[in-house]
Amino acid sequence: MSDEIQVLVRGEGDAIVIDLVGDVTTFAEEAINQAYQSASDDGAVNIIFNFRENDYINSAGIAILIGVVTEARKRDQKLLMTGLSAHFQKIFRMVGLTQYADLYPSVEEALASLNGEAKT
Amino acid sequence: MGPRSNRVVELRIPSELGYEKIAREAVASVAYRLDFSEEKIEDIKTAISEACTNAIRYGSGSDARMKVVVILTADEDKLDILIKDPGASGTPPTNVKIPDINGMVEGKHRLGGMGLYIIRELVDEAGFVEAVDEDEGNQFRMVIYRVDDGEKAESEASASDTDNGGTTNE
Repeated sequence: MSDEIQVLVRGEGDAIVIDLVGDVTTFAEEAINQAYQSASDDGAVNIIFNFRENDYINSAGIAILIGVVTEARKRDQKLLMTGLSAHFQKIFRMVGLTQYADLYPSVEEALASLNGEAKT
Repeated sequence: MGPRSNRVVELRIPSELGYEKIAREAVASVAYRLDFSEEKIEDIKTAISEACTNAIRYGSGSDARMKVVVILTADEDKLDILIKDPGASGTPPTNVKIPDINGMVEGKHRLGGMGLYIIRELVDEAGFVEAVDEDEGNQFRMVIYRVDDGEKAESEASASDTDNGGTTNE
């Protein structure tokens, strides 16, 4: 009953964007970690995880993201997250994930913040 | 199904990760019909997903031959959710810790263990119900009120907590 997640890696401005399309649960672990590894292998300094607003994220999915945070800190990478619904923004704040990754409404706004423009 | 109706919906899902989404969609449908706000519906969906995931992973060892039973009781002002599993891994935890994300990031703690904390933050009451018979398995109960009414919810939650030994969200 697992839903495949589609994970796409693309360069965008000063960042690598990892688009997550589908459920972020334990089944997404391999795909997310591979995408992160691929972005890191390409020398990414800024990585944007771009979620699709209405997808399902559970605590196992959040644990995967905490694993990514752990690796990113070791490599001095900056993580940003975009596209989350208000509900999941609340959950991410609740568990403390926002200490390690800033949230933005969109990829464009995250990129603007990297360029020193005001956070919206 | 009007807001004054009292209805019980019972689901039996295979103990296999992914099936918690059936419960998630069912509870969303019931809550929508009860005029719960969009924010509360999202809270309930996440809470039931986490509770069913725990029941599948820990309460029945992800053995798809086993079933997790979800009973949704809707009344005028609240939704009462009971989740039963076979209790395959023994006594469930009674204490809920705030996740130490810094400890996880620094490698001091294992990743995970956030489900019960998230549930407790999202609903008005949550806790394991003390089983009368040890063969009965685990029963996890959550209650969420349709309208925020701090005093009423707190008073009823305290009464329920005394009755069943569950934890109450404040």
